[in-house]
Amino acid sequence: MKANIKWLDDPEVYRVNQLPAHSDHPFFKNYREWQEHHSSFKQSLNGKWRFNFSKNPQSRPVDFYQPEFDSSSFDSIQVPSEIELNGYAQNQYTNILYPWEGKIYRRPAYTLGKGIETDSFSQGKDNTVGSYIKHFDLNIALLGHEIHIVFEGVERAMFVYLNGNFVGYAEDSFTPSEFNLTPFIKEKDNLLAVEVYKHSTASWLEDQDMFRFSGIFRSVELLGIPDTHLTDLDLKPTVVNDYQDGVFNAKLHFTGKMEGSVHLSVEDIYGKTILEENTSVKPTIAISDKLLKDIHLWDNHDPYLYQLIIEIHNQSGHLIELVPYQFGFRKIEITTDKVVLLNGKRLIINGVNRHEWDAKRGRSITLDDMKQDIQTFKENNINAVRTCHYPNQIPWYYMCDQNGIYMMAENNLESHGTWQKMGQTEPSDNVPGSIPQWKEVVIDRARSNYETFKNHTAILFWSLGNESYAGSNIVAMNDFYKNHDNSRLVHYEGVAHRPELKDQISDVESCMYLPPKDVEKYLQDSPQKPFMECEYMHDMGNSDGGMSSYIKLLDQYPQYMGGFIWDFIDQALLVHDSISGQDVLRYGGDFDDRHSDYEFSGDGLMFADRTPKPAMQEVRYYYGLHK
Amino acid sequence: MVYTNNQLHVIYGDATLGVNGQDFQYIFSYERGGLESLKVQDKEWLYRTPTPTFWRATTDNDRGSGFNLKAAQWLGSDMFAKCTDIHLKVDNHDFSKLPIAPIDNEFSNQEYANSVEITFTYQTLTIPATEVKIIYNIDNDGHIHVTMHYYGKKGLPPLPVIGMRFIMPTLATGFDYQGLSGETYPDRMAGASHGNFHIQGLPVTKYLVPQENGMHMQTNKLTITRNTTQNNADTFGKFNLTIQQDKQPFNFSCIPYTAEELENATHIEELPLPRRTVLVIAGAVRGVGGIDSWGSDVEDQYHIDPEQDHEFSFIIN
Repeated sequence: MKANIKWLDDPEVYRVNQLPAHSDHPFFKNYREWQEHHSSFKQSLNGKWRFNFSKNPQSRPVDFYQPEFDSSSFDSIQVPSEIELNGYAQNQYTNILYPWEGKIYRRPAYTLGKGIETDSFSQGKDNTVGSYIKHFDLNIALLGHEIHIVFEGVERAMFVYLNGNFVGYAEDSFTPSEFNLTPFIKEKDNLLAVEVYKHSTASWLEDQDMFRFSGIFRSVELLGIPDTHLTDLDLKPTVVNDYQDGVFNAKLHFTGKMEGSVHLSVEDIYGKTILEENTSVKPTIAISDKLLKDIHLWDNHDPYLYQLIIEIHNQSGHLIELVPYQFGFRKIEITTDKVVLLNGKRLIINGVNRHEWDAKRGRSITLDDMKQDIQTFKENNINAVRTCHYPNQIPWYYMCDQNGIYMMAENNLESHGTWQKMGQTEPSDNVPGSIPQWKEVVIDRARSNYETFKNHTAILFWSLGNESYAGSNIVAMNDFYKNHDNSRLVHYEGVAHRPELKDQISDVESCMYLPPKDVEKYLQDSPQKPFMECEYMHDMGNSDGGMSSYIKLLDQYPQYMGGFIWDFIDQALLVHDSISGQDVLRYGGDFDDRHSDYEFSGDGLMFADRTPKPAMQEVRYYYGLHK
Repeated sequence: MVYTNNQLHVIYGDATLGVNGQDFQYIFSYERGGLESLKVQDKEWLYRTPTPTFWRATTDNDRGSGFNLKAAQWLGSDMFAKCTDIHLKVDNHDFSKLPIAPIDNEFSNQEYANSVEITFTYQTLTIPATEVKIIYNIDNDGHIHVTMHYYGKKGLPPLPVIGMRFIMPTLATGFDYQGLSGETYPDRMAGASHGNFHIQGLPVTKYLVPQENGMHMQTNKLTITRNTTQNNADTFGKFNLTIQQDKQPFNFSCIPYTAEELENATHIEELPLPRRTVLVIAGAVRGVGGIDSWGSDVEDQYHIDPEQDHEFSFIIN
């Protein structure tokens, strides 16, 4: 297959040759690798790559992926990182309006009764291109295996080539993209080439309130696939018998040699085995309805996780793959009087919205950033996080499992600028809306989010996205989750703009920034659904006053679940100011970027350097009242 | 000069009233309409006369809700103080006219009193205008009881703050206070703990856009420490000034900038080099809000009603 730059203009092309999304379980060769947190099946490609920046598609080095291409003029760049923060392209912060506002006239394909604008992005003069080259040899441990490559996050569209061959195409910036490199791989001196475009039709779906960056901003790694490999793990632990016992269900999907045996066990935290299964390898193995008596439930106070261990042995009995995974038992449900219960007790969300942010690295955050954020949550009684407005880096989900942080796992979807214009609801060119050509791309985002993270105990809510209006395509996303997962609730706030769809979208009534008086009004008027504020207490600058008016509603109305403060950390960039001689924090508009929404990027409980704002003591107090 | 019977030495000047004691010297200026000099143990604590303050550097919520547009008249009244009347009372004697020349010719350098009360009346530059009185009452120990009274009037725009602003000649090294932890406002103080706190330096909260910051609600006592003066003949060393609560705890902020300086900066690094200490004692503090930053006002109960009278007091030791 040949790559086609016109895919950038076509909302119906969003993944080419990408492997299906699957669970995020790690896999090791043996127990020692697990102990050392290092899988020999994994080869990191992070580090220095060769790099060329082009201002637009027309000026890009078209043949840069060919082995004979002379790349001696290329620079080098660190992967992962943001292209803009390496100084190649202008930083820009905009909230609702698209970044091309006032520069290029665009309307989304298939809106307003029209078709595809054939040159909209493929010849967009604002569409910067990063041409990345990485030479690599395969680690010895990977030799002889099927080789995959995983890009954990690339904004916003990319073409992947290996040794001169087109491998695949991907969009959806915040979701892992995996390709099979086996047909083109060599032991030594492989030439990996990745062409990253800042814009494509995906840009219409990624209009989040944030700095608009591009590049390979999350890790890249090669995977050597064991001869028999667990490709997907689907755990469905449930709670039964008045919250006393658990039922364990799991589906395991294998690829590779269908021989040898699988040994599955579940241990409690003392290492006592409470479930053990042995079976021979098959494409699909189902472990069904195993009753486990007197299980220990998982919640914020006591994030108790059981240890699942899956061993795959070959015919000679040698261990060839080890998959450890931790999971908990917990049950979320809505009572007939519209109260949300977790493990039979009322669920209260003391939450924050969290963008991934680092003042020096943008959204290319580090493990250390994540650890600090978990620490801050624990110190301040924050018990829940909404991954606004895209899937986060994978380790974050594990940390939330382990620390009992309730998650609202949100899809990578926001099309705010296609329906809200100067504060007015004006959805005439809204996407995804009910436009058939925009349906599969958003379903795919729902699927990727679900398949990747489905085993994380911490996720209590799937969120269809943020501020994307509502139409039949969002209904279809809701259906996707309902058809795949009856153990969690589905959330979407934007249905507020199409109340007639409320019985088809969202298990909860969700608002943003509804004043306390209006929240109370809803709660007094026999609520049809449990209520939450998916965004409230807008922490821009010196703010967070009046929190008591919200918190006291928790005592009065059991249907009120609480909410997620907007937001956790200021989006501001640390730069050197030559006039004062200091390193200072800069926000939208400070990079001559226009249109900009200026300081509206700074709404955190934390300053961008991860020091808490004075308001944090108030949050700690109020969030401590209903722990 | 030896002070006997712990009395105040009153100096009836041609343009000022001096009030001296064992280790203090206060000068009230008739020309400048306020307390010109607050000298304690030979150290000057005032750079310019204290004035009423009505402006706070607008918060993001203030701007987003349009409060800045509604309240803008108070910015002028904050920057420019118009003193319309000065009234003096020494012991039980009410002066019907200020004792300036030639009235003061009758006095000597041997005038003593047990108490001095001087009241400055200011007219706000708002439409309609209203009045504010600042009353300094000095007892024979040299304690200054300060009372500010704001006269409410119908039709006045909403108020950012009601307080008094003291600008000190040099930067403080820090302050100690008994009150609430952290930065607090009427609608954001439930999470604070009460105690004694030491603040090193005069930190400005680093909000992305400089804005109102550093308020401390419900304070019982504040001690500001400096170690520099502008006096060329001075020696260095730590010295301090204490503000005590009077009938009620007081609210204050102590940072190196006026509201106007903060208001004019779009980034913290644009603020002038810190060189003075700006103490605001606030009688009424508006909440900071938080429902949103694009229209929702601070909740009603945390507004300052401009049509009501407001009075507060504190003691300078």
